[in-house]
Amino acid sequence: MRPFDYAAPRTVEEALAQHADGAAYLAGGTSLVDLMKLDVARPHRVVDVNSLPLHGVTTDERGLHLSALERLGDLARHPAVADGHPVLRQALLASASPQLRNMATIGGNLLQRTRCGYFRDTAAACNKREPGSGCAARTGDNRGHAVLGAGPSCVATHPSDPAVALSALDALLELHGADGVREVPLNSFYRLPGETPQTETVLRPGELITRVTVPPLPGADRSVYVKVRDRRSYEFALVSAAVAVDLHDGEVRGVRIALGGVAPRPWRAHAAEQALTGREFTRANALEAAAAAADGAEPLSGNAFKIELVRRTVGHALTRLGGR
Amino acid sequence: MAKPLIGTATARVDGTAKVTGRADYAADRTEPGLAHGHLVLSTAGRGTLRSMDVTAAEAAEGVLAVYSPFNPLKLHRIKTTPDVCFVGQFWLPLQDQEIRHYGQIIGLVVAETFEQARHAASLIRAEYDLLPVRADFAGRIAHAVPPPVAINHEDPQVDLLAEEFGTVDEALAAGPVQVRATYTQPPEAPLALEPHACLASWSEGVLTLRVGSQSPVGGALAAAETLGIGLDQVRVLSPYVGGAFGGKLYIWPHPLLTAAAARELGRPVRTVLTQEQVFTTVGHRSAVSQTLALGAERDGTLVAVKHDAVSSLSLSGVIYETAAHTTSRYTYKSPSLHVGQRIVPLDSPPTTWVRAPGEAPGAFALESAMDELATELALDPVELRMRNYATVFPGRGVRWSGKHLDECYRVGAERFGWQPRTAPRPQPAEDSDQVWLTGTGMAGATYPGNLLPTTLANVRLRADGTATVATATSDPGTGMRTVLAMVCADDLGIPVERVEALVGDSALPLNYGAFASMGTSSSAGAVRSATTALKQRLLDLAAGDARSPFHGLAAEALAYRDGRVVGGGHSLTFAELLAATGLSELDSPGASAPGAERLRFAVHSFGAHFCELRVNRWTGEVRLDRWTSVIDGGTIINPRTARAQIVGGILFGIGQALLEGIRVEPDTGRFANGNLADYLVPVHADMPDFDIHFLDHPDTDFTPLGARGIGELGVVGTAAAIANAVHDATGRRVRDLPITVDKLL
Repeated sequence: MRPFDYAAPRTVEEALAQHADGAAYLAGGTSLVDLMKLDVARPHRVVDVNSLPLHGVTTDERGLHLSALERLGDLARHPAVADGHPVLRQALLASASPQLRNMATIGGNLLQRTRCGYFRDTAAACNKREPGSGCAARTGDNRGHAVLGAGPSCVATHPSDPAVALSALDALLELHGADGVREVPLNSFYRLPGETPQTETVLRPGELITRVTVPPLPGADRSVYVKVRDRRSYEFALVSAAVAVDLHDGEVRGVRIALGGVAPRPWRAHAAEQALTGREFTRANALEAAAAAADGAEPLSGNAFKIELVRRTVGHALTRLGGR
Repeated sequence: MAKPLIGTATARVDGTAKVTGRADYAADRTEPGLAHGHLVLSTAGRGTLRSMDVTAAEAAEGVLAVYSPFNPLKLHRIKTTPDVCFVGQFWLPLQDQEIRHYGQIIGLVVAETFEQARHAASLIRAEYDLLPVRADFAGRIAHAVPPPVAINHEDPQVDLLAEEFGTVDEALAAGPVQVRATYTQPPEAPLALEPHACLASWSEGVLTLRVGSQSPVGGALAAAETLGIGLDQVRVLSPYVGGAFGGKLYIWPHPLLTAAAARELGRPVRTVLTQEQVFTTVGHRSAVSQTLALGAERDGTLVAVKHDAVSSLSLSGVIYETAAHTTSRYTYKSPSLHVGQRIVPLDSPPTTWVRAPGEAPGAFALESAMDELATELALDPVELRMRNYATVFPGRGVRWSGKHLDECYRVGAERFGWQPRTAPRPQPAEDSDQVWLTGTGMAGATYPGNLLPTTLANVRLRADGTATVATATSDPGTGMRTVLAMVCADDLGIPVERVEALVGDSALPLNYGAFASMGTSSSAGAVRSATTALKQRLLDLAAGDARSPFHGLAAEALAYRDGRVVGGGHSLTFAELLAATGLSELDSPGASAPGAERLRFAVHSFGAHFCELRVNRWTGEVRLDRWTSVIDGGTIINPRTARAQIVGGILFGIGQALLEGIRVEPDTGRFANGNLADYLVPVHADMPDFDIHFLDHPDTDFTPLGARGIGELGVVGTAAAIANAVHDATGRRVRDLPITVDKLL
């Protein structure tokens, strides 16, 4: 890997000050260090944020607060996560492997880079890695790529599992930057590729995720994360679905369906949500909603199966939650 | 006499060293002045390397040298063939500007540290003049050609037809029931946990090359030939090898370049390949497409078997999968039989031997087709196999030295609780709440029993009461070291803790190594030969040496028992006898070699697999729940490591069935998933519960010890058993591996 400077600040303010153009924040390192070895990430400076005071899980009337440096493994074991948020706990446990979950942080996980094989190979054309160079995946090996929200410039998917659960839970992200603190809904945090696939989020230069908040949400306790993958563990999703149903006397008062593995960001299946809202939670209604889960999908040469798999995965999730 | 060790589950003699980090793998070693090599690979699939800009790399910190076709390390042209010389490919890197496949070696950077070498390598820019790449196996099957050389001493097409038929198609047509299908599988990689790594150091013109190898002797042959030195000027050391699976049989070019760089720089050089580099710089298993037709009577009796295989063959190598000749050629009794093999030459990295080469793909097709025939006939698949049981090798008229496959089926079915079936399993109603569909499947397995050419061993008794056994084989995780120590300890009547087994060194007595499941049969035979001779030497010493208490007695009046020489009222341990006669040690060579048994018998190991799995009705995910295998491998010397071998083989087959496959970009030849993140192998969570049972039928017509090979048998038939169980569960027949969810929606 390329030579780089290293800084290990102890406060958020120091971290922001030490982050300069071409720098990268290092948390768990499970993604960044890989990409540095592959010569895909080439930071001049690595700002190690592990010493920042961004630990702890708390709850208050605004919801469940997860500090950004909490490790995925610790969060999965935390009673406040397990109580009332099965979808989040399941998504955490479905991530990577135990060793990786013990290193990876929730803040870093949300900023994980795509697993697109062309992004990770410096010899390939990739607009995300090298804007303007093209997209080898559109005509290449694209079995794992996006069917929703992609564009001519890029068909990569976002690989995180927890982000999908947090999307369904309408989570909020606390961001610290040079201009101060702001809060952004996770569902507005990620950008679609458009003409600038290299810009994946609304983060400003140097801005740091410091906290994730899961607001109180009716139905969060009736939630599930279904992850479909080729291998039973230690593998990214082909398709995943995070589903939470707010049920009242057998009627669906609200439903949240987020998809993973199929889009450049966690993808809310609004058409499916609308199809089920206000209706009786029966198997037939659940399947009708699931059929709408991939609305707008456009397959590539190698991933048309994902469209059917989305419908089936959402159908499986809804019936697991009692839609029968 | 102490309880014999052979047949007793025995812990690996090197297990503690391995789990405590004391095992000395090639990449673990450091030496004073060590420099680090890093390969540079091509990003074009065919053509000519026009130029390489190495200015920035040469100027980078710590760089000692940047070798390329424009600044080559001289290697001597291979005079023989890629297999005979153990290099694995025809050509050697950096000797010309030709690009023969994507990811071939075009440079070696040597620097003071690994990171410096890798960084400098990333600064190199290559320019190519491109030619069209021939990498699309499926698209080129129509252009397949016969292979250039015989397969198992037979023609690429073998027809053994009943008298009344002129062609196998006529014979097939005469069967009232026929099945015919095409089975395909992608190329597969022999991935090992230990990365391919080497450390080369020269001292007074003699090369010491540390490299994880299945064949240290083969590595020495390759190094001598390509580096232009004598065999006495090279020593290859592979004391520990972290998995090999065929991928470490040949040495491949990177250790040869590393050795050449070490010679030129006058410093030891270590090169550790990244796993991405392993995919294209060492060999892989051919892509295979097989068409199988079975003709049968209504009672299931086969009237004709027609099996045609097409395999990819790298234009860089000579090895490819011979799927029909290694399975349908002999597995079932059939009055008419046809096997055929063709190849599709490709601009790909070398194709090579990968665990159960030929048998693994061949059995996927044959044992799937037998299941399809059973379904067609509404006959239980075990019963169908029994109705076509072969007792003589078709066309040769010889029986097997030992064949108990029928017992494998029977015992396996009992242990598994196999329910004979004659009809498809009923499927749940469309709106059923049932999530998982359960299915069971079975398949048979065969693998030939072979012996290495002349294999030597040496056994040495020492005055401290210990013994050493030495042979130049390798223990790539198979348990070879333990097996050799056990045979030696049994023969000498001493505890295994007092035997040290020396392997993994080309300077030890000649042994071509661990491959083709013949390591144990061959090496253990040489050890037994050595201990037999050594015990006689000891008795001769006891009778003949004036300082011996036995002096004056005839050697015939003495006996060796449980580590002691006894006779004439005396009983001395060998240590006491060596001390009495003033010797510090006494040794003897031994040898084994194939004999006339190959003419009198067919020799194979056999097995039967039974598995139960579930398929998720919603998502198509397959979950293996339990697995029974019954193995007929002759004498099982160490049931503990033997079980590990079979389980490991089945796991290899599970990967083949459900996960593995190199996705080759047809236009570039690039391996799209050529890394361990995207090329999936099974993890622990993918494993079923295993019930592995060994039959106890020593094959003394094969060797005196009666042990046949089992290292590859576990792979064979595994993919078919899984595909058959998926069919049982879902009614879907998947004939294209791997069986991924997209094929089950």
